[in-house]
Amino acid sequence: MRSLGGQVGAGLGGLLLVVLGLPILALAISAVPGDLWHGVQDPLFAPALGLSLRTTALSLVLIVLMGTPLAYWLASRRHLGVQLVEVLIDLPIVMPPAVLGVSLLQAYGRRGLLGDALALFDIALPFSTAAVVMAQVVVAAPFYVQAAANAFRKVDGDLLLVAQTLGASSTEAFLRVAVPVALPGLAGGAALAWARSLGEFGATLLFAGNLPGRTQTLPVAIYAALESDVQVALAISLVLGGIAIGLLFALRVAPRLWRLRAVEVRG
Amino acid sequence: MNNTQAKVGGVGIGIRRWWRSGLRTGLALIFLLLGACTESAEQARTPLLVFAASSLTDGFGQLEKAYEQAHPDVDVKVTYAGSQVLRLQIEQGAAADVYASANARHMQALQRAKLVDDSHIFAHNQPVVIVPTSNPAGLVSFRDLPKAQRVVIGTENVPIGTYTRRILAQVGSEFDAAVRTKVVSQENNVRLLRAKVELEEADAAIVFRTDAQSSKRVTAIEIPTEWNVRADYMLGKVRGAPHGQAAAAFVAFVATEPAQAILRQHGFLSP
Repeated sequence: MRSLGGQVGAGLGGLLLVVLGLPILALAISAVPGDLWHGVQDPLFAPALGLSLRTTALSLVLIVLMGTPLAYWLASRRHLGVQLVEVLIDLPIVMPPAVLGVSLLQAYGRRGLLGDALALFDIALPFSTAAVVMAQVVVAAPFYVQAAANAFRKVDGDLLLVAQTLGASSTEAFLRVAVPVALPGLAGGAALAWARSLGEFGATLLFAGNLPGRTQTLPVAIYAALESDVQVALAISLVLGGIAIGLLFALRVAPRLWRLRAVEVRG
Repeated sequence: MNNTQAKVGGVGIGIRRWWRSGLRTGLALIFLLLGACTESAEQARTPLLVFAASSLTDGFGQLEKAYEQAHPDVDVKVTYAGSQVLRLQIEQGAAADVYASANARHMQALQRAKLVDDSHIFAHNQPVVIVPTSNPAGLVSFRDLPKAQRVVIGTENVPIGTYTRRILAQVGSEFDAAVRTKVVSQENNVRLLRAKVELEEADAAIVFRTDAQSSKRVTAIEIPTEWNVRADYMLGKVRGAPHGQAAAAFVAFVATEPAQAILRQHGFLSP
């Protein structure tokens, strides 16, 4: 017989499982192939999908390009300054996306901090595809930098020293030793960051607006479609939901299968 | 990473028994909490939930006060959003008592779906062009609209967006196309359009006269009557309204002269 406290705990935990799982199950059940086809053919869908893929690919490249050196720096140093920078990087994770959207406007908008400077070069960021990418980078980069820093921390410092005593420069040691060893962690972080940027909605809507083909990404298209054709909103939701589930599978299950196979091959 | 995977794998067996034995206790606890929440929020006053189009924000704010003064036993709560968003919420079962739409289309759709009993026009409004008071694009007349670098308009579904498309089409396809190339965003309620102009992120927007009137940061430019349209605002009691009597009384109140006078103060026209 389980104690009362145990029963309550089990009940609450089970309830949360239902609360978490039911909406996903409902979405999956609602997937009628005919409706899905109808939704995919809607004029909202293709441009939004294209834009989402283009912008998130660019965001991911930017995040990895700028985030990897930053993460390596974070992982290889330990003083107060580094810790402060880490807190700063984590800020967008806890900040509501709507707040980020307003902040982006305050920074890069016409009346924003850099508005006049940008205007000198005839650059207008709000309501542009560049704004979509910026919003994605801001919300998603912390996920990559965090994961990458953790991965670099696990790299054995002696390995790097050995590489350098064998004649490698510190850049070479980074590229040919640290990066390959940390690669699984980097890939996981990149996948998480990509998922987060693909789902980005709040900051995008505020900073980039909603214009089909230019700033209307898939999540924004769901919002727009909900007002005209719920089927279309449902179809887009299924596509995004499917991508997310695929990604989760790739992140959690694929490495295990791969490891199993490696064991079999060796045995 | 390996540690968490091992932990998750270890739970596995026995979870069904665990879950069944605790389900009842957990559910009881949750309902107890939910019950406590609703009870503490319940008041002696009848709450009346009004769903109103964004452009009614100022007018209905004052109507709410006037009505509560006359009926101290009723607590009017108004939710503002694009008419199409409110319609969607009512279609999805939102417990609204009264619905006020900025056009006939969304009201009629709800009546066809038998979600609103009957409705009537309670006010009129008219679209205008607004520019920031600094007027960065230097627009003087409606015809200048294509000179703006960045224009924001409503989506196809929000009433102001529908009216805007009708107006642009009436001017002519050339003008329509010229303005459309300057559109940088489609917003889903009229107050979001105005906010973009207030922030000076947009050079111009088409909103209702009442929205222009209630902001100090924007200047209105009239749309010539030959092209302009008249917006009809419709009001109706939601079928199966949780507070049917109060809803009917509020609908009747909006048609009275004192209520109409408040709406006129905010720039609406009486029917």
